[in-house]
Amino acid sequence: MAKIELNNIAHSYNPHDANPLFALKEMSLSWADGGRYALLGPSGCGKTTMLNIMSGLVTPSHGRVMFDQKDVTHTITEERNIAQVFQFPVIYGTMSVYENLAFPLKCRHFADDQIDKKVKEVAEILNLQDFLKNRAKGLTADQKQLISLGRGLVREDVAAILMDEPLTVIDPDLKFRLRRKLKEINAKYKTTLIYVTHDQNEAMTFADNIIVMDEGEVVQAGSPKDLFERPQTTFVGYFIGSPAMNLYECQADNTNQVSLGMNTISVQTNLDQKNTSNLKLGIRSEYITVEQSSGPNTIHADVIEVEDFGNYKLITAQQDSLRIKAKVKREQVVPTDKVFLKFPAEHCCIYANNKLI
Amino acid sequence: MNFKHKFVFLLPGLIVLIGILIFPIIFTVRLSLSGWNSFNPELDFVGIKNYIRLFTDDPRFWESFFRLSFLAVTTVFLQYIIGFALAHMVWKDIKFKRFFRVLFLIPMMTTPVIMTVIWRTFFHESLGPLNDFLSIFGVQPQWLSSPGLAKISIIIVEVWQWTSFMFLLMLAGLLSLPKEPFLAAAIDGASPFKKFMYVTFPLMAPISIGAIIIRLIEASKIMDTVFVLTSGGPGTATETSSFYIFIKGLREFQMGYAATMSFTYLIIMIISLTIIAKVLTKVLMKE
Repeated sequence: MAKIELNNIAHSYNPHDANPLFALKEMSLSWADGGRYALLGPSGCGKTTMLNIMSGLVTPSHGRVMFDQKDVTHTITEERNIAQVFQFPVIYGTMSVYENLAFPLKCRHFADDQIDKKVKEVAEILNLQDFLKNRAKGLTADQKQLISLGRGLVREDVAAILMDEPLTVIDPDLKFRLRRKLKEINAKYKTTLIYVTHDQNEAMTFADNIIVMDEGEVVQAGSPKDLFERPQTTFVGYFIGSPAMNLYECQADNTNQVSLGMNTISVQTNLDQKNTSNLKLGIRSEYITVEQSSGPNTIHADVIEVEDFGNYKLITAQQDSLRIKAKVKREQVVPTDKVFLKFPAEHCCIYANNKLI
Repeated sequence: MNFKHKFVFLLPGLIVLIGILIFPIIFTVRLSLSGWNSFNPELDFVGIKNYIRLFTDDPRFWESFFRLSFLAVTTVFLQYIIGFALAHMVWKDIKFKRFFRVLFLIPMMTTPVIMTVIWRTFFHESLGPLNDFLSIFGVQPQWLSSPGLAKISIIIVEVWQWTSFMFLLMLAGLLSLPKEPFLAAAIDGASPFKKFMYVTFPLMAPISIGAIIIRLIEASKIMDTVFVLTSGGPGTATETSSFYIFIKGLREFQMGYAATMSFTYLIIMIISLTIIAKVLTKVLMKE
């Protein structure tokens, strides 16, 4: 295991062109040994490129990759001690489950008794011990994905296990179980796990550190709580959370007050001496409350729709051009025509030029 | 849409199918039950007399059939090995990749009969450049008049002519393979040999089976090479089933008997190719 650092990394697939296009814009990141990370972002944002740079499948056009202070930028994949799980399960179809798990060790010329011990240990963790003699080809998609993961786990020298949307082919219930299994593995072996996904739920439930990417840039890195409560950009606010964060254009009235259409909303952000052009107010639908009467930070809006999602209700309300989405408890009584919605000041985020103030 | 409408749309295709495929087969079966020859050119009915003759009194047909089997299996096996190796070579990032890809396709673009004439000249025992060269080492092999060497000559010509086709199929297969298994094998630390054995070869198994079957079907019809290169000789040393049927039907005009041989040959080929396909699936795909 190792600490992985990306120093001023950038990657362009046409670096020698007059105007190179960068799949990954310059950034520096550090991945602590034994951490559980998720790389989150929409398709084409550079997640897989970053992952492939770490595994050595792609050599970055700029910057350096360091494993425990050692420069491995130009080290080939085989010598990097990285394990990678791909979106679709990769198994050796002609081999048994046992042979599949043993393969990375055999390639590294381990002794048979060592291989046997390690394979059985990993098979037990992954609940594959009953299938060891079976042909890998005949297993289900999730079992095959476990084999892919197992080939990374049998190696004790693995610096990190990189997973590129590994649960795409697996049904929701199994996804949940496998994510739990991955957490257990991380806790037991202290292996650094880096998980690429475009699914925020997967990222939020799996990782203790999430790196959100957009258009080749890291837009925010932090814990699930940070990303949810204090999104650093409007993109993160929009991308994380279901429904997306409510975002409205607003004007600064004074140091901690903004006007939102015909409403005045108090916020805890100090707007004094800050760049107050192109301001936006963002608030999570989870923090908007339904009130019985008008009051401070309350907006009186028409109820457009109330959707019952079983464990919560989603209110869609509108006041002129402001469309507000509020998530309330299922038991909450919601008026059918007009509703008072309160924006608690402590949960209002103010963005100038799409960046959190 | 009711059944009649569907039938109207299917009819043109069905008419063509019946005209070019089903009618000739049915006619061949009928012809095989007749004694049609140059003295008696009519579609009479002799029952299974021709079949009895074929199975009890014509070892030459069976010899030609086993000779054909040997030639077909050998040539296709060599074409597969060489074609796969060449495709694997130009699949990798090598210098002049595009040039080699075109170069390896040239034999397939040439006319087989003309190329066989050139090969015949090449193998000519007294005038050919091959023996001219080999005479430096004091050897003058009888390429086309020794039974063993004549077979080898046919194999060389067939392999040269059709390896391109195998190369093309295998290259198309290699280019369509997903890249993840190769990346995973690299990460697992597999050597190039292990990558080939455990990733490339198993992934290519379905394509290999298809390519081998296509080539076996083609190779079992081998005619032009034999006709031009050796005319079945020396003696009957390179005579194949199709060439023997050609002799009986179009040289000796024993049309009824030639039809019997054709139909028997067709049935044997259908059965044997089905078995070969199943065996290949079992062996190559380990199912």
